Amino acid sequence: MTNIENYKQIFLECLSIDLKKFNEEIKYNEVEEWDSIGHMTLISGLEEGFNISLETDDIVEFSSYKKGIEILKKYKITF
Amino acid sequence: MIINDRNIKIWSTIGSRATLGMAALELAKEIENLMVLTCDVSTSAGLDRYKKTYPDKYLDVGIAEQNLIGVAAGLASENFNVITTTFAPFQTMRCCEQIKVNLGYMNQKVCLVGIASGLALGTLGFTHCCIEDIGVLRSIPGLTIISPADSLETVKALEAAVKHNGPTYVRLTGTSNNPIVYTKDYDFKIGQSIKLRDGNDVSIFCTGTMVHASLEAAKILKKEKISCKVINIHTIKPIDKKAIESSCDSNLIVSIEEHNIIGGLGSAVAEHLSKLNKKPKQLFLGIDDIYGKGGEYNFLLEKHGLTPKKIVDEILLNYKKL
Amino acid sequence: MQDKKTEEIKNFSYQVRKNILEMAFEAGSSSAHIGGALSIVEIISSLFSYKMRIDKTDPNWEDRDRFILSKGHACLAYYAALCEIGYISKSELKTFEKNETNLLGHPVINRKMGIDFSNGSLGMGLSLGIGVALAAKKRKKNFNVYVILGDGECNEGSVWEAAMAAPHFELDNLTIIIDKNNFQQTGSNNEIMKTENMKNKWDSFGWNTTEVDGHDIKSFCGCLDDSNNQKPKAIIANTIKGKGFSFSENNNEWHHSVLSKSNYDKALKELEELK
Repeated sequence: MTNIENYKQIFLECLSIDLKKFNEEIKYNEVEEWDSIGHMTLISGLEEGFNISLETDDIVEFSSYKKGIEILKKYKITF
Repeated sequence: MIINDRNIKIWSTIGSRATLGMAALELAKEIENLMVLTCDVSTSAGLDRYKKTYPDKYLDVGIAEQNLIGVAAGLASENFNVITTTFAPFQTMRCCEQIKVNLGYMNQKVCLVGIASGLALGTLGFTHCCIEDIGVLRSIPGLTIISPADSLETVKALEAAVKHNGPTYVRLTGTSNNPIVYTKDYDFKIGQSIKLRDGNDVSIFCTGTMVHASLEAAKILKKEKISCKVINIHTIKPIDKKAIESSCDSNLIVSIEEHNIIGGLGSAVAEHLSKLNKKPKQLFLGIDDIYGKGGEYNFLLEKHGLTPKKIVDEILLNYKKL
Repeated sequence: MQDKKTEEIKNFSYQVRKNILEMAFEAGSSSAHIGGALSIVEIISSLFSYKMRIDKTDPNWEDRDRFILSKGHACLAYYAALCEIGYISKSELKTFEKNETNLLGHPVINRKMGIDFSNGSLGMGLSLGIGVALAAKKRKKNFNVYVILGDGECNEGSVWEAAMAAPHFELDNLTIIIDKNNFQQTGSNNEIMKTENMKNKWDSFGWNTTEVDGHDIKSFCGCLDDSNNQKPKAIIANTIKGKGFSFSENNNEWHHSVLSKSNYDKALKELEELK
């Protein structure tokens, strides 16, 4: 599985998003399950899935699918 | 609830408060007559998703804790299974008499959940910390008091409390990234303590966040050639008297709590210990009956001697004096 | 309201007053909260013998109207009424304030005797009433909830927490009666803590409020019968503390006192004369 596929998979699983409803524009608090609890679940999933530990600032800044990709690049994840 | 590695990690990351919110979602699926009541703290208790999903099983009474208890008891008297929650000091002390009359005296079955107890909200000052709740509530007959060690135990405690046939108080401590004590599912019974580590020299009775701290301290003490038994007293009332009795062959008993050393776990242990003929000395670790200056959680734990290293120092000091 | 019905409630009130005298006398030196019980006799009689839907054979009938005596110290009137309904026997009334009795100086929950809640610590009953009224709404049940509060009791902040909540939750199945006898334990309301403008206070909190003479059975029942207009109802009942006997009316000595033999005899005589 490529990194981008892994990333998307984690999003779908952690936020219980239907593949049909998924798009790359999704943002925090604009998706039903991406509330504060969903966010921590997502972060936890990403940390486990990519074997990284995110900084608090990055967790706070992680406000959309696309932004997340930018953030993960800081952790040497290539997409 | 599904207890697996993934969930245990998530619950630890989100902390015990948000775990309450997740547990409530699951409980609402199984319990038709569940009602969760709050005092304008839905977001603080991780209940936003619950509120949206089960609006009929949720009620906010506003910042009115005395009314909260009466309303909860009224609902309970009509066979609703009620959980109430707000910040620990307000959940327990603002409405203490209502708890006495409605839950203690009238025995109405309500599960009170005190969030952010102990020093978690230290930056907000001691009005929002709670180092008195166990002490205050222990003297109300009929009220069971549970203090879970980690987020998984929070789930277990809530599941047990809603099934319990009397009123309960569940005391949630710690913040997000709540250290994990239990890495897999286990048997949780109200009133039955859990020995997490065996040892001959020192018996440590601990509760809430201090369970993890005690386990870490025990590892360090082993290197100092002191073997520690660590007992998780998740149920402070009724306390597991047998666990206390079977620790009397230790050289030292230590009680550790994120609570005043007056009135809490230490006092509960001492009350039973003092009735026994042969018993070791007890070292009380906790907040030494003081409202100090506020600060961040970890800073306050350090200041009040509640980190593994500080616990080790105190135990070593006292052990050497024996 | 028919005169016949008023007459029935009056007779019930007579019996309640008589039972109060018997219990207070039995209590002897333990003394009793006589004044505050006497002021609510017509109120409680109207509720139990007229307004409330109850089953005289089953105190736990699930569709019964619920009653909460938030001013729990007026329990003499409560036990007296429960006796007239048949839930408590006359011999049990005699155990009032005796050792290990079921009938203490404040009500202790005893569902077999029709005592639904423990009360006595002032300021808590209305919150209970809200919980019960909410339960009825959730279960789509038609029973009503009645709570009697004292005017002195309204000093307690917890009363106002509840006062704010009931209209918020649109509890039109909840009716409270404030026993406005103008006294509290050690003096008049005016001396201890003013409780003026009761009607305005409850009105401003969003209650459907009326004011009435609490001893005028016909008018009081009229208030009970009036529609709630989708709000919880508050009836400010103007009453006389110690109502019914010359020595006790408006005499705050009778808040909590011993009923001597001579006063007991005098009271019985006055009661018979009134009948």
